[in-house]
Amino acid sequence: MITFDHEEPDQVPITEMAIDVVHLEKLAGAKLTADTSPQTQVTSDRRAEADMVATTVLAYKKLGFELIPVELSAPDGWNPQKKPDGTISDEWGRILSYDAKCRSWVSSGSIFSAPEDFERFPFPDPHAPGRTFAIEETKRRIGDEMVLGGWIKDPFATAWEMFKVTDFVRWLYERPNFIRQVIERIADFNIDVIKQIVDAKADLILCSGDYAEKKSPLVPVKFFKDVIFPNLQRQVEAAHRAGVKFIKHTDGNLNPIMEDLANIVDGLQSIDPTAGMNIGDVKRRYGERLILIGNVSVDNLCTRTKEEIVQETKDCLRDAAPGGGYMLSSSNSWYTDAKLENCLAMVDAGRKYGRYPITIPD
Amino acid sequence: MSLLEDIERAFAEVSGVDQMRSCVQAALAEGTSPLRIVQSMRDGLSVAGRKYERGEYFLSELVMTGIMAQELSSMLKPYLQRDGGEFLARIAIGTVQGDLHDIGKNLVSTMLSSAGFEIRDLGVDVPPEKFVQIVNNEKPRIVAMSCLLTVAMDAMKKVMGQLVESGLRSEVKVLVGGRPITPEFAEGIGADGYGENAIEAVDVAKSALT
Repeated sequence: MITFDHEEPDQVPITEMAIDVVHLEKLAGAKLTADTSPQTQVTSDRRAEADMVATTVLAYKKLGFELIPVELSAPDGWNPQKKPDGTISDEWGRILSYDAKCRSWVSSGSIFSAPEDFERFPFPDPHAPGRTFAIEETKRRIGDEMVLGGWIKDPFATAWEMFKVTDFVRWLYERPNFIRQVIERIADFNIDVIKQIVDAKADLILCSGDYAEKKSPLVPVKFFKDVIFPNLQRQVEAAHRAGVKFIKHTDGNLNPIMEDLANIVDGLQSIDPTAGMNIGDVKRRYGERLILIGNVSVDNLCTRTKEEIVQETKDCLRDAAPGGGYMLSSSNSWYTDAKLENCLAMVDAGRKYGRYPITIPD
Repeated sequence: MSLLEDIERAFAEVSGVDQMRSCVQAALAEGTSPLRIVQSMRDGLSVAGRKYERGEYFLSELVMTGIMAQELSSMLKPYLQRDGGEFLARIAIGTVQGDLHDIGKNLVSTMLSSAGFEIRDLGVDVPPEKFVQIVNNEKPRIVAMSCLLTVAMDAMKKVMGQLVESGLRSEVKVLVGGRPITPEFAEGIGADGYGENAIEAVDVAKSALT
């Protein structure tokens, strides 16, 4: 896709990093049974997973999206550990609770109480067979119709979720080498998995996991420079060795770390408008280095009118599309409570106003 | 530098639990009033909060000061009970229905507790009826509602509506906060206060009592 080479195609491409189950079902006219989670793998039921892939592909094709993101699968035969209180734990030690409204499992705790628990923990095997099941299944269905992005999860974000946040922070202060080693080990896992993702014919690596909250990065800039970014660099280099680009998703106010981030990754998704990230400003400062994907506000998709969404989409196109290197999306994903009519209005506006050369006035 | 200044500095500079603990133990051994120790902690938290607002500190520092504050509260609990230390007021706090996030709520709870409030933590995904039931049965002076998801904002409106319907609205102050919450939203639903972050929540809660 020439967009990724910072050239202008005929039309601004459009995608979403994820679409919640309720919307997928409406778009595809299907009923899904697979257990899902926005944060991790929760099933190795391949039949249900194949249905999920089929429904997702159908929905993305119907929307005319140019890129389809696909999560890693759990290894063959893996099952979550079920607890008496109804929660489950995943391969990484997260405890998850079921959100009935979103019909997905969300992170709600951790099995780790001390660093020694992690040292005894059976760390996931990157080479366990089956991890690219969903990617292979998606590729089989889409052929060359869409760009396929394979997800990995950022090591810092994984560690932040694996341990309770209070424990992560406490150990960051009291056992900094332990936290550093955990992040390095997860980065090693990702580097092994990146090769498998590309071998499974993915065209792109997508890396989830937030670095920042509304106000600022989650941890001091020094920790980004000393630990997070060197490990990010290693993963990006692994993607480049495999011949693909690396797009980082993160919400939040990234301004204190943008310069370093722009020197490492090939692209950025979200550009969170609720955190003061202005896509026009990011385009001006980093547009030659970074592919940008975003940034219609996910909050606005839930609360605003169609007309306001259309205007916001036009603003994104006007500010970020000229020169290429831009894909339209929301600032995160289509949540359960996003109004589907707003989501579709965003897509329609993207098609109507996103033809190059972009001629949307201020 | 006195031990009270050391305690304030431990919080202001986020020195960690061990450093804070040894200062507090030394202060208690010297016979320092627990209430003065708590005040030093609050002064230090205030400095840390301003640094967070200026962008010098990040969420992790805020979380660490919360951890230190909880530890100090545990250390001083026997002394404060013995000395008859009173709470400023009881606050019932929860993440509203439809939202399972608790980092912000927990941080706010810790800060409020450190500031002298009695906390009744209702947890996450709290139905509107539960907030109303707690107001009716336990008479907190303040209800604090938190959410991270935009979807949960409707739940806050429902709580407000049910407080009105049950005739309890005038008996409690309602404060709101969380990522999607704005001052305009807070005003629109009739809340009594809005906090941008956990540090601000303390001032907002104190203002609500006046």
